[in-house]
Amino acid sequence: MNDKNDKNKLVVGVVGGGSFGLGLARAAERVGNEAIIHSRRSAAVPRSERVRGTSELRDLAACDLIIVAVPSTHVRDVARALGNHVDGRHVVVHVSRGLVGDDLRTVTQVLREETAVRRLGCLAGPLHARALIEGTPGGGIVGSTFPEVGEAVRGAIGGPSMRLYQTEDLVGVELASALVGLLALALGYTQQLGFGPGALSILMTRGMAEAARLGVSFGAEERTFSGMAGFGDLMSAAFGDERPEVKLGRALGRGASLEEAGREANATIEGVAIARRMQRHSARRGIETPITDVLAELLDGQLAPADALARLMARRVHRE
Amino acid sequence: MVRSPPMASPLTSVKRLLERPMRLPRMRAYVPKPDDPAIFWFNGERDDIVREVVRRLEARLGPPGTEAKPPLEYVLNDCANEEARRLHSQKDDETKQSLRFWRGVIKRVGKMSDADRRAMFHDIAERMAKDVAGNFDPRVYSFATRVIPHALTGILKPSSLPSDLASIGSGHGSPVDELMTTEGDIARLRRLGKIGTLVFVPTHLSNLDSVVLGYALMRDDLPPVVYGAGKNLFSNAIVSFFMHNLGAYRVDRRIRAQLYKDVLKTYSAVMIERGYHSLFFPGGTRSRSGMVERKLKLGLAGTAVEAFANNRVRGIDRPVFFVPTTINYALVLEAETLIEDWLKEAGKSRYIIEDDEFSQLDRWVAFIRKLGEVESPAVIRFADPIDPFGNPVDDEGRSLAPDGRTIDPGGYVSWRGKATVDARRDAAYTREMGQHLVKVYERETVLMGTQLVSHILFRRLVRDTPGVDLFGRLRHRGEIAMPRAEIVRELGFAQDRLREMEARKEVRLSAANRSLAPDALLDRVLAALSGYHRRTIVGFAEDGAITLEDPTMLLYYQNRCIAYAERIADEGNLGAAREIARLGHG
Repeated sequence: MNDKNDKNKLVVGVVGGGSFGLGLARAAERVGNEAIIHSRRSAAVPRSERVRGTSELRDLAACDLIIVAVPSTHVRDVARALGNHVDGRHVVVHVSRGLVGDDLRTVTQVLREETAVRRLGCLAGPLHARALIEGTPGGGIVGSTFPEVGEAVRGAIGGPSMRLYQTEDLVGVELASALVGLLALALGYTQQLGFGPGALSILMTRGMAEAARLGVSFGAEERTFSGMAGFGDLMSAAFGDERPEVKLGRALGRGASLEEAGREANATIEGVAIARRMQRHSARRGIETPITDVLAELLDGQLAPADALARLMARRVHRE
Repeated sequence: MVRSPPMASPLTSVKRLLERPMRLPRMRAYVPKPDDPAIFWFNGERDDIVREVVRRLEARLGPPGTEAKPPLEYVLNDCANEEARRLHSQKDDETKQSLRFWRGVIKRVGKMSDADRRAMFHDIAERMAKDVAGNFDPRVYSFATRVIPHALTGILKPSSLPSDLASIGSGHGSPVDELMTTEGDIARLRRLGKIGTLVFVPTHLSNLDSVVLGYALMRDDLPPVVYGAGKNLFSNAIVSFFMHNLGAYRVDRRIRAQLYKDVLKTYSAVMIERGYHSLFFPGGTRSRSGMVERKLKLGLAGTAVEAFANNRVRGIDRPVFFVPTTINYALVLEAETLIEDWLKEAGKSRYIIEDDEFSQLDRWVAFIRKLGEVESPAVIRFADPIDPFGNPVDDEGRSLAPDGRTIDPGGYVSWRGKATVDARRDAAYTREMGQHLVKVYERETVLMGTQLVSHILFRRLVRDTPGVDLFGRLRHRGEIAMPRAEIVRELGFAQDRLREMEARKEVRLSAANRSLAPDALLDRVLAALSGYHRRTIVGFAEDGAITLEDPTMLLYYQNRCIAYAERIADEGNLGAAREIARLGHG
């Protein structure tokens, strides 16, 4: 474990006491920083020399950097509560893989609406909780229009075992992160149906092209989807990072109901809600999204698995 | 040895004198009163401001003997090449000698010592800063306050000029005051103007905007502002005289050298730091299409964040308040030229239009006379002021968080408790400000009757020409007619929707749009649309239907409505409204 002097040491606030939140706190501790984890069950947070729990959001006001690690479905409430304690001094980054509401607002948009913080960012890419906790080599990408946000996150958790890249395409990172969740669900589902490597590769490649088209309609840069936040993250799911979305997809592929599959995956799956909303968005904007459409209808029970496959395979093949 | 640009010949000097802004001689210095805005001190500070601008630019070079980034040779080369290119294409008498100077720089700069390069840099930067720096003459301000309204009255209503002149000093309003309405919390702006620096950021439709806004500020007892006016605006001697002596600084958009841009930015930042209330058009240029700006360049407005950070680093707590403003006209002086320019997609090549209606005195007279026949033809709406980071401020100028807490805006330019100046960070804040302003513009735009009626008529053209592109539609001159009863019905429907939207604070309406019956509104708009513009915009068929004679002008005026098109359409017009809305995404 590294030691930093007081001048260089950062106090990192983490909102959310789940495994991801704990992993981020451990990563901060590993590079010589301190972390305060806000959790409703603060007593359950494993304490250490440099990590402690709190149930009071006001305790995070003293932190320079705050990482929000809650599902997007809770982001609005958390942001509103956090908004009572933060201001322009703070840097806030989130790791949520979702979009909020029917109008598909990004999590940073919600944080901007509910707090006075402007230096916002999204930490995404092939990060997963266990690697963060154990300190095995990994990396991710920080999207922010403010260069200093990336530098702050690197200073907080970056180190010999954590490579963190940076981009100004914040919207791209947030959209890629959310849509990879959707593709990971499709991956688990099709794996369960027995698709071979070739078919899975086609699904992932065309799925990412579709995600990029959607992202561009929100103002993202297409190339972001080819990077860490897009393909990097999707490959991690495909290589078996035990992602809940893949588990949920597999359970659905076995014929489980959405509720049963959710219980089995043991996580809030943000991709389920996103599929339907994305389908509406693409219809309104005239964007071609066959995979999202099929997924939305599958999840709604309007399409049988065999029909879904037939519909996708029957599409006219055109230039890539 | 360093040589400055040479002295001009006598003939050139006379020409330059005529083109340069005139200043009035002064026997003794003006002593500002304690309550006067900062600009009343400007003439006393001007030399110091120019020195400060040059000092900051030189400081960026680093100490003598060190390699600047970018290297000084590169900076001077860029400047000389850009200027030589510009002057070569100008090919007039005035440019010959300057061209010789810049070509000399190109030849010599590679062989110069560091000290010589620095001396040349100082000389060029100082000349540029002096050329940019404006002037403020309190006598001209006082004269303009008292006399301009009456001069406009002479154009507007010559018959009422004698009684109007007799009323000078009586405190009674001039007929020209009826031309312009201001909306917003003016008293609050006056208060904030005494606490910090106001930065007005209006929408931009016409070259008249700075004149109109300047007059509105004067009339509402708001402090005068400094602003960067395109050098082309100084081509009209009378306008140039007033602009120059009322705080405008000259921006020559033909000069592309990076050093000139740095001079402008630094000058603007220094002015804001020193508390000079400022005006910037964040759209950069007039909206050619007539649409409300959706993409903002911000440009010099971004220097407000830098100025705020600079002051904080020096421990000066002087707040900066952005005042989003919409300038709304029933008729636009240069409408015909602007929309043609947009349609030609020649916006870039004709970025600086010098031959439009603004430069033609007869068009001014015709325009102002026509405005006299239109009720409230110009509305200036001041939205709620915000700090440079998009937060609302209270009556004392304190920044407010979404939960209503007062917060220190200095936090935004600090990291771990220390205030810093960071160009990349400030650029990000500026981009955020641009996104914020776009939203404010949409909800604070005051829709005028001419725009709404034009939208209803243009929408009919779109509906009746399915599958035709924009240019195809614009060729349908006089071919589409709309029965008056249908216009009245659709207008009434749109007015109802707009009133609901106004109640939800999604848009603002002119008094006529808000309260006139559709029939009366239509009559008033049809009268306004005929008479000023050279083209016939609408005609009347024998059966009383309205014919669309000039879809291009209808397009221009209706473009102000595109952000609201889908929300004000009935079921039968929704498809056409969607097509119109897409114009805004293109």
